[in-house]
Amino acid sequence: MGVLQAFATSARREAAWLKRSRWDLAMISWVPLLAVALLWWTFSAGLPNRLPIGVLDQDHSAFSRQLIRFMQATPGLQVVRSYDNSTEVTQAMRRAEVYAVVSIPPDFARSLKQGRAAQVTLLHNAQLGTHSSLIQRDVQSAVGTLSVGVELAARNKRGEPALATLVSMEPIKTSLVTLFNPSLNYEQFLAAALIPALLHILAMTAGAWTVGRELRDRSVADWLGPHASWGSTATALLGKLLCPWLGLSMVGTLAMIWLTLGRGWHPPGSLAWVLLALWTFLALSLAMGALASSATRSLRTALSATGFITAPAFAFGGVGFPLQSMPVLARGWAELLPYTHYIRLQMEQFQMAVPLNYSATSLMMLALVATIFILLCAPLLNRCAGRPDTWGGR
Amino acid sequence: MRAKSSVWRAWVDTLKAIAADKGVLLLIVIAPVIYGFFYPWPYAAQAVTRVPVAVVDLDHSSLSRQITRLAQASPRIDVRMVIGDEHQAQHALWRGEIEGYALLPRDLKRDVLRGSLAVVTVEANGSYALLNKAVLSGFAEAVGTVSAGVEIKKLQASGQSAPQAQAGRNPISTQMVALFNPTEGYGSYVVPAVALLIIQQTLLMGVAMLVGLWAETDRHRADAATWLGRILGFSSIGYLSGLLYFGWIFWAQDFPRGANTRGGLVLLAFYMPSICTLGALLGVWFGNRERALQVLLFTALPMAFVSGFSWPAEALPEMLQTLRWLFPSTAGIQASLRLNQMGAPLADVAGYLLILAALSTSAGGLLLWVARPAKS
Repeated sequence: MGVLQAFATSARREAAWLKRSRWDLAMISWVPLLAVALLWWTFSAGLPNRLPIGVLDQDHSAFSRQLIRFMQATPGLQVVRSYDNSTEVTQAMRRAEVYAVVSIPPDFARSLKQGRAAQVTLLHNAQLGTHSSLIQRDVQSAVGTLSVGVELAARNKRGEPALATLVSMEPIKTSLVTLFNPSLNYEQFLAAALIPALLHILAMTAGAWTVGRELRDRSVADWLGPHASWGSTATALLGKLLCPWLGLSMVGTLAMIWLTLGRGWHPPGSLAWVLLALWTFLALSLAMGALASSATRSLRTALSATGFITAPAFAFGGVGFPLQSMPVLARGWAELLPYTHYIRLQMEQFQMAVPLNYSATSLMMLALVATIFILLCAPLLNRCAGRPDTWGGR
Repeated sequence: MRAKSSVWRAWVDTLKAIAADKGVLLLIVIAPVIYGFFYPWPYAAQAVTRVPVAVVDLDHSSLSRQITRLAQASPRIDVRMVIGDEHQAQHALWRGEIEGYALLPRDLKRDVLRGSLAVVTVEANGSYALLNKAVLSGFAEAVGTVSAGVEIKKLQASGQSAPQAQAGRNPISTQMVALFNPTEGYGSYVVPAVALLIIQQTLLMGVAMLVGLWAETDRHRADAATWLGRILGFSSIGYLSGLLYFGWIFWAQDFPRGANTRGGLVLLAFYMPSICTLGALLGVWFGNRERALQVLLFTALPMAFVSGFSWPAEALPEMLQTLRWLFPSTAGIQASLRLNQMGAPLADVAGYLLILAALSTSAGGLLLWVARPAKS
């Protein structure tokens, strides 16, 4: 059988199967599309607003009321409750009815009027990491606004001119610039990172399923034909993976275009380069699944392996918790995972505007490893085709 | 009497069936143990320290060197290079060698001495939130310390006492107190919540796989008593892995734990049946052994982010705020964090337990109907 013919026959055979199997077609078309849409929808707000906090105002002064007004005016915060004592505060925090409580001490206004330092206490719930860090930032900026006002007033009273005051208050100003994604928009940061992670799981699953199904259903010899060679099997495998690859790449492409252009976000780097990398990354994920099935000869084992490798890939990918802070061996595992390399490339283009040649090597590596995996599958499948006693493993 | 004995028999048969099936055994007994150590692994250090950064020093003065020295002393950042060219820093940032840099401008010292405004620009990589935070705060502390020193000296020169000068400089300060997860570790924030999801996903897939095999071979149909026994059988194994996490893994990883131990035990008794009935229902629907893995593997990711522990539920679209309760993990995670980590009394999580009970009964009712015994 010619190599091209092996490709075409296998692709046609798979397409005919997909037409009959509702589930298998769904898992490479509308289910991924729906899952990706769900992830985007989850983060569509971009930045959480109006997180509920409480106050424990023990001062009841003009200053304390002003602080509460400042906090209420911060878009990230919503002062929903006022508590009378610390018992109520503890109960409310335990129930997570509010994510933080700002406690204003009884002598707050008096201290400020006498020119002594005053301190407010923010009790926050660090068990909910994102909530707590957003609230800390916003409360600090509200307190900072009040603090600057108090200091300016005091200096003006001493007779310093306003401009000189601003400079002498902070002789060296730190201008903190967050390059790339300065507003920390979670839609652009987290949704964009999670969608490829999700497609990675679905693609390796599809690779394992497409090949493993033939082994489970004892149809592998029928698929590969009687005179399978290395070349014909490798191309037959490519033909078989064509439909899942097209389906998942299409979903990925739609998702990325929607996230960027569809939402009016123009990433500083190259969207085309990211799409090229995504298609390669999905091809590699499919090849990983195919190799897992060819090597274990069991669909079920291959799917378990898929779960083990791809489900925690996001946790190891360095997006949430940075690679450089992981233990050496965990970092080593992370570096072996293709998601880690893909997502670095995507971040470089979507956020950092890094020139393309900085990531050319990782893209080439993804393609190279995918090719090697496909080539490795061929002899494994051929050997399996010749041994009917190993078929049907579950 | 007969019903009671068939519950008991189904319970025993289910445990036997699990033990005899190495695929199911791997999923619902071994996988939770492995994940319990594998998942927290990258977060072992808990905090982000010594992030590589650069200092671009265009001033070469005693003041700029003082800022550099203080930055070098900060535990958050690690000054890898002190250079005189911003382009070089930009390239190092692209190559991933550094995650941010501070730009000390020419004439920094002169401006400060003359009393005109001097600005130090700190640029950090916002694509990675934790690195960004470490770089910004590491440099801000170093510059702030030098700046405060300059200002206090000036205030003292104008005749104020040191504490007065200190108070005048920053009249209101904020003290941050983390009431729960006091070390603010990353692992101890993520893993206690994800643990509930790991338990759910392994159990859900295991149950759906075994019931899927029964449905494939048409052995699944049974009366209510038998189904009750089966669900209890699956739940017993799930309960054990729940105990493994609450009791041992949280302890072995030194996460906040055991704030309301008895409450945690009650929660597991509600959580497991809701997962198992849902799993059995899915298994009947799939009617195929391996389908459970194919369809459920990817679901952990979206479920984690609608559960409300990392992405605030307040920020979810309204419809999703309702739909998310269909996953047992949502109520499970919320209740578990309150009980195990925050120490809420059981009464405070009654609503979540009620949701889990409602999931069990509705999925159970549906199961009894779709998998009712065939009419003979």
